[in-house]
Amino acid sequence: MKLDGSYTIPAPREVVWQQLMNPETLAKSLPGCERMQPNPDGSYQAELKVGIGAVKGSYQARIEILNPVSPERYRMKVEGKGAGGFVNGEGLLTLTENGSAQTLITYSGEAQVGGVVASVGQRLLQAAARQIVSQFFQAFAKQVQAVAFPPPSTDPLIPSSPR
Amino acid sequence: MIPQSFEYHAPRTVAEASSLLARLGSDGKILAGGHSLVPMMKLRLAAPKHIVDIGRIAELAHIREEDGTIQIGALATHFNIESSPLLKDRCPLLVETAREIGDVQVRNRGTIGGSLAHADPAADWPAAILALGGEILAVSARGERRIPARDFFLDVMTSALEFDEILTAIRVPALPARGGDAYLKLHHPASGFAVVGVAARVLLNAQGAVQEAAVGITGVAPKAYRATGVEAALRGKSPSARHIEAAASHAADGIEVNSDLYASADYRRHLAAIYTRRALERAAERAAAS
Amino acid sequence: MATPLLGQRVKRKEDPRLIQGRGHYVDDIQLPGMLHMAFTRSLHAHARIGSIRVAAAKAAPGVVAVYTGQDIQGQLGWVPCAAGIEGLKVPRHSCLAIDKVCYVGEPVAAVVAASGYAARDAADLIEVDYEPLPAVVNPEKALAKESPVIHEELGDNVAFVAKLAGGDCASLEADKTLKVIKARFINQRLAPVSMETRGVVANYSPGEDLLTVWSSTQVPHILKTQLAIMNSLDEARCRVIAPEVGGGFGSKLNVYGEEGMACLASRRLGRPVKWIEGRRENLQATIHGRDQINELEVYVRPDGKVVGLKCSIIADLGAYHQLLTPAIPTLTALMILGCYNIPNVFVQTTGVFTNKMATDAYRGAGRPEATYIIERVMDLVAHELNMDPVDVRMKNFPSPDDFPLALPTGVTYDTANYQRSLKKVLKAAGYSRLRKEQERLRKKGKYLGIGLSTYVEICAMGPSSRMPAGGWEFGEVRIDPTGKVTVLSGTSPHGQGEETSFAQIVADGLGIPYDDVTVYHGDTFQVPMGIGTFGSRTTAVGGTAIYQAMGRLKKKMARIAAHQLGVKPGELVFRDRRIETEDGQKSIGFAEVVAEAIFAKQLPPGIDPGLHEHSVFEPSNYTFPFGAHVAVVEVDGETGEIRLRNYYAVDDCGRVLNPMLVDGQIHGGVAQAVGQALWEELVYDENGQLITGSLMDYAVPKAHQFCWFETQNTETRTPVNPLGVKGVGEAGTIGATPAVVNAVVDALKPFGVRHIDMPLKPEKIWRILKQGVRN
Repeated sequence: MKLDGSYTIPAPREVVWQQLMNPETLAKSLPGCERMQPNPDGSYQAELKVGIGAVKGSYQARIEILNPVSPERYRMKVEGKGAGGFVNGEGLLTLTENGSAQTLITYSGEAQVGGVVASVGQRLLQAAARQIVSQFFQAFAKQVQAVAFPPPSTDPLIPSSPR
Repeated sequence: MIPQSFEYHAPRTVAEASSLLARLGSDGKILAGGHSLVPMMKLRLAAPKHIVDIGRIAELAHIREEDGTIQIGALATHFNIESSPLLKDRCPLLVETAREIGDVQVRNRGTIGGSLAHADPAADWPAAILALGGEILAVSARGERRIPARDFFLDVMTSALEFDEILTAIRVPALPARGGDAYLKLHHPASGFAVVGVAARVLLNAQGAVQEAAVGITGVAPKAYRATGVEAALRGKSPSARHIEAAASHAADGIEVNSDLYASADYRRHLAAIYTRRALERAAERAAAS
Repeated sequence: MATPLLGQRVKRKEDPRLIQGRGHYVDDIQLPGMLHMAFTRSLHAHARIGSIRVAAAKAAPGVVAVYTGQDIQGQLGWVPCAAGIEGLKVPRHSCLAIDKVCYVGEPVAAVVAASGYAARDAADLIEVDYEPLPAVVNPEKALAKESPVIHEELGDNVAFVAKLAGGDCASLEADKTLKVIKARFINQRLAPVSMETRGVVANYSPGEDLLTVWSSTQVPHILKTQLAIMNSLDEARCRVIAPEVGGGFGSKLNVYGEEGMACLASRRLGRPVKWIEGRRENLQATIHGRDQINELEVYVRPDGKVVGLKCSIIADLGAYHQLLTPAIPTLTALMILGCYNIPNVFVQTTGVFTNKMATDAYRGAGRPEATYIIERVMDLVAHELNMDPVDVRMKNFPSPDDFPLALPTGVTYDTANYQRSLKKVLKAAGYSRLRKEQERLRKKGKYLGIGLSTYVEICAMGPSSRMPAGGWEFGEVRIDPTGKVTVLSGTSPHGQGEETSFAQIVADGLGIPYDDVTVYHGDTFQVPMGIGTFGSRTTAVGGTAIYQAMGRLKKKMARIAAHQLGVKPGELVFRDRRIETEDGQKSIGFAEVVAEAIFAKQLPPGIDPGLHEHSVFEPSNYTFPFGAHVAVVEVDGETGEIRLRNYYAVDDCGRVLNPMLVDGQIHGGVAQAVGQALWEELVYDENGQLITGSLMDYAVPKAHQFCWFETQNTETRTPVNPLGVKGVGEAGTIGATPAVVNAVVDALKPFGVRHIDMPLKPEKIWRILKQGVRN
């Protein structure tokens, strides 16, 4: 299955890049991410509870970032197992400046789905994948917003930006 | 085809069901006719810990008219709607849509509420409810809210319902004078779902021009939608073949179109225009004859 | 009921119990202490198996045993293949994958537990580490040198290459007066989808050392022999029962790994073990059908006479051989000439391994492919020479006087009159009127298509010399002391209705009421020998065995009656519960003769007591049923949607014993055939995932999609068996597919269309329409 598209994040490219490389931001943005930990080889291990409507499945995913060219592009490789099947994907993410305050993230990749989802879900797979990707970018945009434009703190004792 | 284990609840009233759902949180899942949820459970794609079967809540199975508005309880089966004399007379689009759903077995068990809540992007009801400008009643322990149909469908199998909300009824306006409607569909040969399904309602003014046209389209995009471009193009025009065809060409304007093994995005886009034209022609004919 | 019963629309003996839900299928069997089995299946098309972690499954509630390929190695025989083809490569096929998986859905582990739910839950807990390998999905690419090899020990992905030649095709190439037509057809992969999925209950009783197996099978006796071999048991220690079987379409003419596993588990655990297949498993791991690529060269004289046919068949066999996998495409080669005596033929069949489920016999089994090829060819000839398809066929039919007709393919057709069936169906359809209507509609931009198929099939399988493991059949007739009759057959009908037609044969022959005859089949302890139900053989071969056994019984009864009446046995006839002289002057009651035979008070010398005869019928040849079909379709010029408007069929299955049963077979067969033409297709993606893995995507035909089928018969009896019957179980599926495709291609003739591959999805048609009118 081919997956491609783009998403505009209202933040400068440097900020977007930093946040894409930030495991904490990723963990907060990945739909249904219940845990994410670094592996010794630099990849990440994540527990994801992914769902569309009543369909929900838990996946153990290994996420790897390959050939990063800061702040322009990197390849991402995801290997997920669980819920009666597997999802393996690899794709290229490219960051383009769209003026000084916006960044266009373009992604293009290929995913291989196996198991029950592959055998019964072809009708909805593409749309469901797009929905999950869009959920990620929406959540990610929020995270980036919080970093780039921290809301003014109402309580001077609580810092307004993440630690 | 054996589901994972689950706990089964059978509340008798909406109040009982909503307090159950509030307690169960995201572990609870409502079962109505079971024709969307049960197959997914058998495939183990869905494995809810708790099933709240609302099938025994008698108050949810009504079909009635109040002041020109048709209200259909969530538990009305497709067959109840297909065979309702009231709807045949007052809202024939629903009857015509019900007829096109699945097969006899599905129509006998499946419910309109279950289908809408499931928000399958190729289900038939969303097209009709959108075209009719209906609203959806949702009840939770927090109270009742009315969701306009156009705000109800969010994405693939995702509706505006919160996990603790029960879809209790659908409200749609009855067919007004000088109004006509139609539902046309290309069936997927295996699933019976809409490869494209178009529901249209046309209101003519006293001069015979289109006062209002409404078009709901399912099967084409990740969610059913109102074809606003078509509607705008037809408003105020005479319902001639040429005007309808020109308007229908906007059926998939600005829409991200689905592609699957049976129909590519190109083909679906084409079908959307053809079926929109045909549905509008039929609706306009009926409006003129009414 | 009036006699003779033969030829009457006698109601089915099977129906009261089936209609009322009182039939007993495998899943209805409940035994004390019974356990349930579930399988963990491969998620990958091609992968090495690393470790398999079963601890969590073993510890799960209710679990009794967990098996992997390693656990059963050497304990259970390989899944058998009976096809005999020279040079055939047969990969080892374990009931559970051992170190490699070769298709999605291949069983990797089995869990046995107290309930089906516990077994399924535990099977999901088994974790298998796979090292994925590149999947071989396209059979043509599988033949390339650089292709990954599925069974490394076999060297490459070629399972066999078989050549069939007759006449001299090479000489035609030099003949410049001939037109050469080239074509490439794809006969897509299909799923049989019987309504009842597979299922098995195995019950090994250690005390008696007896393995009893209930299986949803078409071939209980073959299964008994094979399961005995796989489990190293004497056949006497193995009993197979086919209870009610809810359809098979060839998919249950097989021996499956899951059946072997149920036996092994029951033997090890000493308890009954049940496995019932789910629909998703059924689509993934029950045999598939068809799946061929055909490249053709056809040599035609300017007058439309076809003089040569060359065909390359690439048959996608899947990853392993099931019982008859490699034999199926060789039947395509054998029947490729169809109804036409084309003097020069050359067919090369290449069986190819791919990372998919095995193909095998699916209703028609190789012959629908052959019919599709030759009937599409006839329409291509008509197209190229601008002739009417009727004229092309008439030009190439042999004369009815040419039969028996030996063809260059090596088969000898028994009897036929192809002209008669074609004329009859054209009359039924109003062919010339339809052509005029088509012309009229075309002018209005509407597309009506008229398609023909004139087919011949090879049935009543078959002479043992040509069959992998015997082609005879067993029948037994016995008369009980009360005068009621018990009939046993080695065949195993599963919906076709032979309990009815066999009873008709016997009731007529003995001159007794239909209700006095009870037919049994499907239990290897009850029926001593048998082959089974497939290849449209049950009535032609199995019915004949019963007919012969009955003949022996009648001879004996006539001798006893003659002794009593003081006449010669040859003077006696059986009618209206009496045995009497032709003129009715001398007569004795049927019951009296039965009593005499069994109580043996005054038997003539040399006659043993009892009325109990059996026969094994060995056919001298196959039979060759034939027919002519016409499909009329409407194509929506805007959307490409196809509507089957009319369907006319004239079938000749030899003598018709029960027209209602024949109609039923034709209707069902035509529906399946239309399914192939318009809707059905199993699709594996480039990674070997089956993406039409449920009935939401795999389009099984439904009643509301059809018009009424107008069916008629002609009767050309066969001399191959004394009943004169040829067989009808597959005729519809063999004949109808090309009629529908020919009709759609005919509808699109104004667009210059020569051929469209199946299934004829509306989008394909739309793309053709979009290009616009070409001529």
